[in-house]
Amino acid sequence: MHLIPLVLYGCAAGTYMAHFAGRDRSIGRLATALLGAAVLAHTFIIGMQTVQVGHAPLVGTTAAVSAFVWLLGLAYLYVELTTDERAMGVLVTIMLAVLYIIPALDPQVTSRPDVLRSPLFTVHVLAMLFAYASFALACVLGVTYVLLFNEIKAKHLGFFYARLPSLQVLDVMNGRVVTIGWIFLTIGIAVGGIWATQVQGSSSDPRVQAMSPVDPKILVALVSWAVYSFALFARRAIGWTGRRAAWLSALAFVIVLLNFVPVGYFLTKSHNF
Amino acid sequence: MTRLFTVGLSHRTAPVELRESVDFSRGGAGEALAALASRGISKEMVVLSTCNRAEVYAVAGPEGPDAVARFFAEYHELPLARLTDHLYVRRGEEAARHLFRVAAGLDSLVVGEPQILGQVKTAYSAASDRGYTSSTINRLFHTAFGVGKRVRRETGLSEGAVSVSYAAIALARKIFGDLTGLNVLILGAGGMAKLTGTHLKAQQVRQITIASRTLAAADRLARQLDGQAVAWTDLTAVLSTADIVITATGAVEPVLTRASVAEVMRPRRQRPLFIIDIAVPRDVEPSVGDLGQVFLYNIDDLQGIVKENLTRRSSELERAEAIVGEEVAKFSAWLHSREVIPTVVALRDRFEAIRQSELARLEPKLAGLPPEARARVDEITQLLVQKLLLTPTEQLKAVREETLISAYTDALNRLFGLGAEEPSAEAPRRARVSPIRRD
Repeated sequence: MHLIPLVLYGCAAGTYMAHFAGRDRSIGRLATALLGAAVLAHTFIIGMQTVQVGHAPLVGTTAAVSAFVWLLGLAYLYVELTTDERAMGVLVTIMLAVLYIIPALDPQVTSRPDVLRSPLFTVHVLAMLFAYASFALACVLGVTYVLLFNEIKAKHLGFFYARLPSLQVLDVMNGRVVTIGWIFLTIGIAVGGIWATQVQGSSSDPRVQAMSPVDPKILVALVSWAVYSFALFARRAIGWTGRRAAWLSALAFVIVLLNFVPVGYFLTKSHNF
Repeated sequence: MTRLFTVGLSHRTAPVELRESVDFSRGGAGEALAALASRGISKEMVVLSTCNRAEVYAVAGPEGPDAVARFFAEYHELPLARLTDHLYVRRGEEAARHLFRVAAGLDSLVVGEPQILGQVKTAYSAASDRGYTSSTINRLFHTAFGVGKRVRRETGLSEGAVSVSYAAIALARKIFGDLTGLNVLILGAGGMAKLTGTHLKAQQVRQITIASRTLAAADRLARQLDGQAVAWTDLTAVLSTADIVITATGAVEPVLTRASVAEVMRPRRQRPLFIIDIAVPRDVEPSVGDLGQVFLYNIDDLQGIVKENLTRRSSELERAEAIVGEEVAKFSAWLHSREVIPTVVALRDRFEAIRQSELARLEPKLAGLPPEARARVDEITQLLVQKLLLTPTEQLKAVREETLISAYTDALNRLFGLGAEEPSAEAPRRARVSPIRRD
């Protein structure tokens, strides 16, 4: 079952690449359609899992990765349809296809332990994932900004020059998605903290007891919050727009991604449900 | 037999002085069309007149092209002899190919320039609004618009700036997006400064500031460009608020040094600065380009871009010509199927006339029949005629080859005495000496 969205995400990535290289509008529309189909198939699977376990499949890193891919796909489609700009699609869909390998290899959904039976938990996970999806878009925008900047700077107008929107547009969009991501990250961390203090008194689950700012997963999340807060502050107060903002959003997402997959699977003692 | 054709001259066949004197747009498109229509050459016509070409597209009999050539001379009060060497005629399929190439920008002075498609559209609507177009011309021009769009969409023929000014503006757009909120600073007040300033003004930038060593010259240019002039000594102040700087002074030494630009970059923070150095010798130290947020392009860089774009355009020519070829084939098939229609109609009329006359002749014998039986007779004879004509009509419409079509129509005209057109009238007329160069 999980293979269908994987194949569709893969095809979408391939078609976005073909569109980026050849700039044929009909191939571009095909790419969008394929991505739409992938997200739709993915929605169906998430729906099935919800029916199967009786709640939203958000427990465990694999389910979170799946939900993240789904949210990023939706968020990107929204951006594409509102701006009519397909150039970011290549990097986004590659990221989607690669990350989706994880849920495709391990399609089992874990049932929710009683301790997670709280609306605060759902809000926490969704807010975090939406923040990560925004940061992923910011990263893509940052990378393309740097590529285009370097091309113009080197007076070698070629591949990216012909395909990307202006530096100004990339920069403005970057600022916008970082702001949105930061708001959701703040909500996610705050709600997570509130929920943890609520359940720590009543549950003896070792994972709940391990929830503290020194747990790797929580620590790195706090670090990324600090980095994005700085990015916002720097943009507004000290004029870190353009290339610096682009680099910052690209590097900050590396921290997010590290926290999401390796830390989530191997290091954390609190978030391995 | 009526035929589609075009008569015209363009930058390929006529020098600019001649093109200037054969300008149909001077008196307005309506006037030229009315003058042409009053000659009764054709019922369908479009006059396309731009600074690089003057062409008439029409549907008329075999004498049409020569008559239109005379119209060219008489309308512009020129001796016909002055025009004959420069006029070209294209007929049928070739006329269509010509228009499609024009609409796609393939026949333009700067290949791929996009304005021509709009000009073709304007010329067509001027004619169609006044009722000078009908099925053939309508189909021809609508196909041409489609060809223009296809070539633009499917090939890179119109991509990339092909003049230094536009290359600079395209770059500015890639950096700043919209140019409307930008401050432009021009150093120098000479011809190049004015030219580039005019182009930027057309982009509706917020403010154009001109600095020159002689304030009077700066003032003069500022008035022409609706800008403001500043003294050379205030350069640093205006430099720090500028987004685009154009340097075009006659100075021998660089007027913008790395140190002077670096100084204004700090308060600008991360806001990019686009410097276009179109002066020779250069006005800006090359090392200014190493500064973080500075994009420095000199005249050679811009010319390099233009050259690259031109090369890229020419590599797209083949694809564009292929599209034109495809569309010509489609249009030509339609045109040929149209050519047999007069013959088909004449044939049907002829058969119907025979049927009617036979019914009239038999009237005394049929008079005794009851009305229902008479209606049956009428119906049966009609059906008979239809059946007899069905296969020949289908066969005729399916013919694609031009010589075969005229052979068939000729044969039908003779065999059925369709007399409306003289079958052999065309040949001797073609042999007559024409005032127009054939190519």
